[in-house]
Amino acid sequence: MRPGAAPPRPRGARRVRGTPGLWAACLFLGLIILAGIAPELLAPASPTETDVLRALRPPSAEHLLGTDANGRDVLSRIIHGARPSLLAGLGATALAVVGGTALGLLAALGGRVLDEIVMRLVDVVLSLPGMLLALLVLSVTGPGVGGTLLAIAAFSIPIYARLMRVQTMVIKRSEYVAAATSLGLGRPHIIVRHILPNAFAPLVVLATIGVGAALVAASSLSFLGFGPQPPDPEWGAMLSDGRDYFALAWWIAVFPGAAISLTVLSITVVGRRLQGRAEASAAPRPRGAGHAGLTAAPGPRSRSRHDERGGNRP
Amino acid sequence: MTTPTLPPVGDIPGTPTGGRPAARRAGGGWARAVLLRLGTSVLLLWSAVTVSFGLLHLTPGSVEDSLIGMESVSPEVRAEIVAAYGLDRSLIEQYGSYLGRLLRGDLGHSYQIHESVASAIGSRLGASLSLAVASMALALVVALSLAVLTARRARWLRSLSSGVELLGVSVPAFWVGILLLTVFSFELGWFPAFGGEGLTGLVLPAVAVAVSMTALLSQVLREGLELALDQPFVLTARSRGMSELGVRLRHALRHALLPVVTLAGWMFGALISSLVVIEQVFNRDGVGRLVLNAVAAKDMPIVTGVVLLTAAVYIGINVLLDVVYPLIDPRLRGTA
Amino acid sequence: MRLHRSRGVPLLVAVSLLVLSGCGGDGPASEAAGSGEPVTGGTLVYAVNSAPETLDPHVSTQDAAGLYARPVLDSLVVMDEEGEFHPWLATSWDISEDGTVYRFTLREDVTFSDGTPLDAEAVRANLDRIVAPETMSAMAASFVEPYAATTVTGPHTFDIELSEPHAPLLAALSSAYFGIQSPRSLERGTEEIAREIIGSGPYVIEEFSPSTGITYQRNEDYAWQPATAGLEGAPYLERLEFRVMAEDSVRFGALTSRQVDAIGNLPPSGVRQAESVDGLWLTELQAPGGPYAYFPNTEEGVFTDRRVRQAFRDGIDFRALVEQLFFGAFAPAWGPLSPTTPGYDASLEEAWGHDPEGAAALLDEAGWHQRDGEGYRVRDGQRLTVVWPFVSSGAGELGDVLAVQVQAEAAELGFEVVFDTGTQGELVEKYNRGDYDLMDVSWARNDPDALRNLFATSSIPTPDHFAHNAARVSDPQVDEWLDQALATTDPRERAALYGEVQQRLTEEAAVFPVHVSTNVVAGHDHVRDVRWDPQGYPLFHEAWVAS
Repeated sequence: MRPGAAPPRPRGARRVRGTPGLWAACLFLGLIILAGIAPELLAPASPTETDVLRALRPPSAEHLLGTDANGRDVLSRIIHGARPSLLAGLGATALAVVGGTALGLLAALGGRVLDEIVMRLVDVVLSLPGMLLALLVLSVTGPGVGGTLLAIAAFSIPIYARLMRVQTMVIKRSEYVAAATSLGLGRPHIIVRHILPNAFAPLVVLATIGVGAALVAASSLSFLGFGPQPPDPEWGAMLSDGRDYFALAWWIAVFPGAAISLTVLSITVVGRRLQGRAEASAAPRPRGAGHAGLTAAPGPRSRSRHDERGGNRP
Repeated sequence: MTTPTLPPVGDIPGTPTGGRPAARRAGGGWARAVLLRLGTSVLLLWSAVTVSFGLLHLTPGSVEDSLIGMESVSPEVRAEIVAAYGLDRSLIEQYGSYLGRLLRGDLGHSYQIHESVASAIGSRLGASLSLAVASMALALVVALSLAVLTARRARWLRSLSSGVELLGVSVPAFWVGILLLTVFSFELGWFPAFGGEGLTGLVLPAVAVAVSMTALLSQVLREGLELALDQPFVLTARSRGMSELGVRLRHALRHALLPVVTLAGWMFGALISSLVVIEQVFNRDGVGRLVLNAVAAKDMPIVTGVVLLTAAVYIGINVLLDVVYPLIDPRLRGTA
Repeated sequence: MRLHRSRGVPLLVAVSLLVLSGCGGDGPASEAAGSGEPVTGGTLVYAVNSAPETLDPHVSTQDAAGLYARPVLDSLVVMDEEGEFHPWLATSWDISEDGTVYRFTLREDVTFSDGTPLDAEAVRANLDRIVAPETMSAMAASFVEPYAATTVTGPHTFDIELSEPHAPLLAALSSAYFGIQSPRSLERGTEEIAREIIGSGPYVIEEFSPSTGITYQRNEDYAWQPATAGLEGAPYLERLEFRVMAEDSVRFGALTSRQVDAIGNLPPSGVRQAESVDGLWLTELQAPGGPYAYFPNTEEGVFTDRRVRQAFRDGIDFRALVEQLFFGAFAPAWGPLSPTTPGYDASLEEAWGHDPEGAAALLDEAGWHQRDGEGYRVRDGQRLTVVWPFVSSGAGELGDVLAVQVQAEAAELGFEVVFDTGTQGELVEKYNRGDYDLMDVSWARNDPDALRNLFATSSIPTPDHFAHNAARVSDPQVDEWLDQALATTDPRERAALYGEVQQRLTEEAAVFPVHVSTNVVAGHDHVRDVRWDPQGYPLFHEAWVAS
């Protein structure tokens, strides 16, 4: 469930090309984002208007995806659910990326002591299982979209921090940064113009999976009773709520589940494309830096290997 | 990816990435390395305990309220409960005395379940560990087979495989569990819905936990394999007339395995997250359920006990990985 | 706030029978499946949604503790479905004129399963233990607050002395929370007793875990069934198992796939699905005490005005909602007590009902006649907002679906219902402070004195004392009736007093009854003679499984 466990990106320009799949993914994401911004435009009915007399109706012309136990239109709830779901998924990931980037930069550029402190902290968070940490955070904040967002971000941050640190360290020693330094360019300038753009690519890759993982995590939290509260429509909560009615009304759970899966799929497809582009354009980056995270991110072990290999130790 | 593409991270001085000081420092560094490692491990355990203790006490509501539950008890009983668990002392005092007892090896007693923490965790560890090991093994085997069979194969095969994997990642474990139960237990009657002792009781929960892990591992592994298959040594092996499967298993796999081992090691440590959910669905008496109830009930001794356990597992896995790396990649041997 | 959520099986008694197969009638639910000669031996597996953290019912706050303790612990007296008391461990008893001394005589042939004989000293040890503060009894002790002492007057005779009359004493003594444990067993530590209790009951514990459940074995020597039982000696079942299956769909799936013999707490969707499964019986067990109800804060906020309370109660069609959402499995509630509580005032049924026009008129009269842009009523620029602290416990909770529906219907009346979410701890604090307009609570107790828990001035929660008067009713007249009822042991006189209280609370619209708290139990046809403990739960003393 951790976003950190990202698969590696396909490399190079191999997959940088438009495919029907890519277009479909873009279209779907576009719809979801539109639903997140202006659900009223898409939804055929109110997401909260209840009518017990038409509860548990199967999909029909009137209710394309059926109705739930309260007689609410499932399609409308999915559309209105886009905003809280994306907030939980994207928000948690964005927060984790920003937090992780800041911590990673701090560790990589802030000197030995700071590095030690930050990495120890990261170790502590990593040693707590994500779900346990999320439950603890949620019992502090209380259930709801905000709490879910924070809880998921809390256990994702260290993964991004670790990846960012490794990336930054690699780039820091690269020739073009050295060149920039020798040109007398200021530190902020170097960070913003050289280090961030190059270090960021693998983070983006990790984040695309992270969004999906966050959606899934939100659903699991709902399952455990810590999720967003009714009557807010949120995909994870809808999926979780539908389980008791599964034998009676499969559509209550299946369609929100499909929304999550399709979103994850689309984000991944688009993310891969972006990744391909980033790799193609980020030419000056040292070879392989784009993938450092995959071995470095999940565990603290990558180091030993590099040690053994000696590398260009000063 | 293969090791040659890895960035030279470790060459930067003062950058221990994990709890592992540079074991390669020659000379008397060996003992020092062990000591350092011990030191950082203790530091990690202490911080983990402190963080969870702090978070738990940040939650609104008093411990005695959650202990008493929603019952109206007499003031005398309330006072007795407060005194029995030392809840009337300041937080610092409670923390101090807890740490003191911890140092003497006493994990304390649960507030809620009338059991010592050691026995509460101990009696449930078996159920969780067997599930964790079974699902990890299953995930590794399936991911290996999937990756070996699909890497650099026909485009449709790879697309199919990666589509299924993405689906695996995007379906919550509790749903997988409920669907598995519905089909294989309620409909087909092949496996029991409860009674986790025997092997048959382990199958469905292990599959449910393994699904998302398999999906991630096989993606990483296939990626690594595809890169390895581009390497010159593969061409050499092929030209020597080695079978395709042989090339994949004998040469490419070894190169692709390192990141997978890293990932798998981390996953194993994080497994308790899945256990929390799956033990609930399958009614297994494990550590995940224990901690879920303990968090809800503000049962500090149990929560910190489990945190200690997971932190210890985390440390243990890192040590294990250090041992395993040189076995997989001969280039990492002989330096320590 | 769901004050009793996740507490497992509520107190329940046998009531109506929803028979889906075979013939019906009152009595043991499983009789519906046909009768036959009882078979000795075999195992019965019953799936439940929770297990208590401690088996010790003297200590536990949990409803599940009663269910788990009952097969092992016998009580002094037994209560029947009409609320009358009959002998069990005690053969006879007398109550003094002033109602402060209860003189008991015990059976002489009873031994605990550890070999200790039952005597008056053993009973005294039990009762003294329950009220001792160091026992930390979170519930049982609160049922016998005026307990002064037990005086042993002979090997098998003793007096329970009270500091003041307490009519609900026998009801308390009949419950599993006052089950008599072996005095030798009570000398062990709390942690040992939490895992294993030893009594004189028809079963003994073989294995227990708070997360997976419990296994009992037959007590071969058992020869003292309660007077209400249709069986003299040891139970038929060789083994009895309660298996914890927290997930509703899993519990139901285990039943339909015949992996368990019977289940409790069937979810409403399961009631509907069960219709298509052959060979199942279903029984609704209605809990005594307060029904599942919404309580308006009468102390502060919009609901201080009786007209606004009545408008909310009458303006929402609770009956239709309950019928539709719960597939007819739950009976509507009419008053502050459940129909299965002794002293229930049946005249309240149909005494009020859905009346949206009347509700609108009441709101107009109370000054809430204007509406704002969103359709909510306003008065002096203030919106008619009802704050409802609410925790969704996750999926499938009946209350969640209902709450959403109520919110929607209230909006049509012009109420804005706001769910105030937070952690359980926060909610308890808000509850104790009175920081809410509406609360949902159910409070099960097998005595009409439940009204004192729910509506007496002394039961208003305060920041350092959790109590159950969620409506925060403080009515001297109600208090007086309740005190009088406590002091009289004459059932008819008590019923009259409690009737007054129920009428008054209904007139005042101090409670919005929603539905009777109901535990739907389902089982296969081969499960026979499961009876319903008047205190609470399905009772397996006489159960057997047909081959």
